[in-house]
Amino acid sequence: MKLLSEGAEAKIYMQEIFGERLVVKERIKKEYREASLDEKLRLARTRNEARILYRAFEAGVKTPRLISVGKFSIYMSYLEGKLLRDVKKSQYLLRQAGLLLAKMHNADIAHGDFTPANIIVSKNTVYVIDFGLAEISKSIEEKAIDLLLMKRSLNEKQYKVLADSYAKAYRGSSDVFRKLVEIEKRGRYQIRTLT
Amino acid sequence: MLVMGIESSAHTLGVGIVRDGEILANEKISYDVGSGGMIPSKVAEFHIENVSKVIEYSLKKAGISLKQIEGIGYTRGPGIGPCLQVGELAAKTIANKFAIPITQVNHGVGHIEITKHVAGLNDPLALYVSGGNSQILKLVDKPYRHYHVLGETLDIGIGNMLDSFARELKLVPAWGSSIEKEAKGGKYIEMPYTVKGMDFAFTGLLTYAKKLIGKVSNKDLCYSLQETAFSMICEATERALLLTKSRELCVCGGVAQSTRLKEMLGKIAKEHNVKFGFAPNEFNGDNGAMIAYVAERLIKSGYTSKIEECGIEQRYRIEKAVVP
Repeated sequence: MKLLSEGAEAKIYMQEIFGERLVVKERIKKEYREASLDEKLRLARTRNEARILYRAFEAGVKTPRLISVGKFSIYMSYLEGKLLRDVKKSQYLLRQAGLLLAKMHNADIAHGDFTPANIIVSKNTVYVIDFGLAEISKSIEEKAIDLLLMKRSLNEKQYKVLADSYAKAYRGSSDVFRKLVEIEKRGRYQIRTLT
Repeated sequence: MLVMGIESSAHTLGVGIVRDGEILANEKISYDVGSGGMIPSKVAEFHIENVSKVIEYSLKKAGISLKQIEGIGYTRGPGIGPCLQVGELAAKTIANKFAIPITQVNHGVGHIEITKHVAGLNDPLALYVSGGNSQILKLVDKPYRHYHVLGETLDIGIGNMLDSFARELKLVPAWGSSIEKEAKGGKYIEMPYTVKGMDFAFTGLLTYAKKLIGKVSNKDLCYSLQETAFSMICEATERALLLTKSRELCVCGGVAQSTRLKEMLGKIAKEHNVKFGFAPNEFNGDNGAMIAYVAERLIKSGYTSKIEECGIEQRYRIEKAVVP
C-alpha cells in the first residue's frame, strides 16, 4: 500500500488488487482521545461517509465508486488526475463543478467542504471527493455553506460561471442564494475571509 | 522603555510593568465570583475600589515610581463594559497626568503574545480558550498584521460552559478546574459531539449533561463532559495545524490551566512533530503583564492614540487588532 496523503483524521492509501487500483481511506486512532469516544467517532464517520458516497454515486454525481467498507476504512475506485486547485480553472470545468453541486443538492447531500482541493479533474471531467464532512440534509443553510466555501476559493469571474451553472441545474437554488447573502452579512463571515 | 498595562475586562483586575520585554511586575486581584456569577456593576465597583492599590503594588514590585512610567496600555476589549471602563479610566488618567503615550490592547492578542514570549515560540498556531472565548488563530500579514480566526465556538466559550456545569453541581466555577478534579477516575458516557470543520459548539453538550445530573454519578458526568469538550477542540486544532502547516502550537487563556487539555494537545503536537508551548498559569489567567507587554511593542511601533480617541469595545474582534 502506498500512502497518498495524510489528513487530520484519516490516511489515504493506494492499493492494487488484481492489477486494479483502489483508494483506501482509513480513519486512524487518535491517542489524545478517550478510547471509547475515539472508536465511536471513527465508526460512525466511516459509515456515514460510505453511505453518502454511495447515495451521491446513485444520484449521478461524479465521484469515486464505493467498492467496500471496513470497520474504519472505505475502499473506492482510483481516479487518475489532478486537483481542480492545481489546474487552470477553465469555464468548462467550472460549469461541470456547478453541475456536480446541483446534483448533490438535488439529492439533499451537503458536502461540507466543497473547495477546489476536493475536486479531481480526470480526462477533462470533474469528480467530487472526500465526503468526510458531508451530511444528508435538506437544510438551505448547509447548502449555502457549500457555495460559500467555493466562492471564497475562487475569483469573482470563476465563481459566477460555477454559480450560473448551479442555478440552472438546481431548482431550489434561489433559496440557497438568498441564504448565502444572509450568511455573508453575518459578522463572523464578513470578517472571516480565507487567506 | 518602561510600560504599564492595565487589564480589567472581567473579574480580574491586573496591573503589569515591563521594561524592554522583561516582566518586572504582574500584580492582580480577583473579584470572588462565588456561585452566582458576575454582576457587571458589582465587579466594576470592586475594580474601582482596588485599582489604585494594585497599581501601587505593581510599582513596589518593580521598584519604580509612577512618574518613571514612559507609556501605558489598557484592555480595549472584548469584555464586560463597566469593568473595561475602569481600566480605561485609570490608564487615561495616568497618560494625561504624566503626558505619556497611551495605547489600546486587544485582550486575546495579549494572551497569545505573552504566551509566545514566555514559551519562546515564533509563529505558532494558537488555541485561545477562556470563559467567553474559544478560538483557533494564526498570525497573517495581509491586509495588516493580525490574528486570523481559523475556527471558533459557534455559541458559548468553553470556560463558561464548564463553569455553568460546575454551578449546577454546586462546585466552584473556576474555568473548569473543579470539573477536572471531579473527573478523576470517571467512566466515559456517550455525549453530543459537535465539530463543523474547524468550528465547534457547546450548548448541545451542556444541555445533555445537565439532564443527566442525578441519574449518573458526578464523577462520570464531569469526566465525559470534559473529555468530549476537549476532544472537540483538539480535533479542530489538529485540522488547523495540518491546514496551516504550522511547526509550532500554543495554548493560552484561562482554560489553558487544565493539565488534561495540555496533555491532549501535547500528544497531537508529538504526532505531527510540532513544538508545543504554553505559559505558566499566572499568564493564562487574566493579567496585566500581557497588556503591558503588547502595549510596549505597540508604542514602539507607533501605534498610539490620543486620549480622546481611546475607548472600550465589548465585542472587540481579534481580527480588527493590529499586532506589532
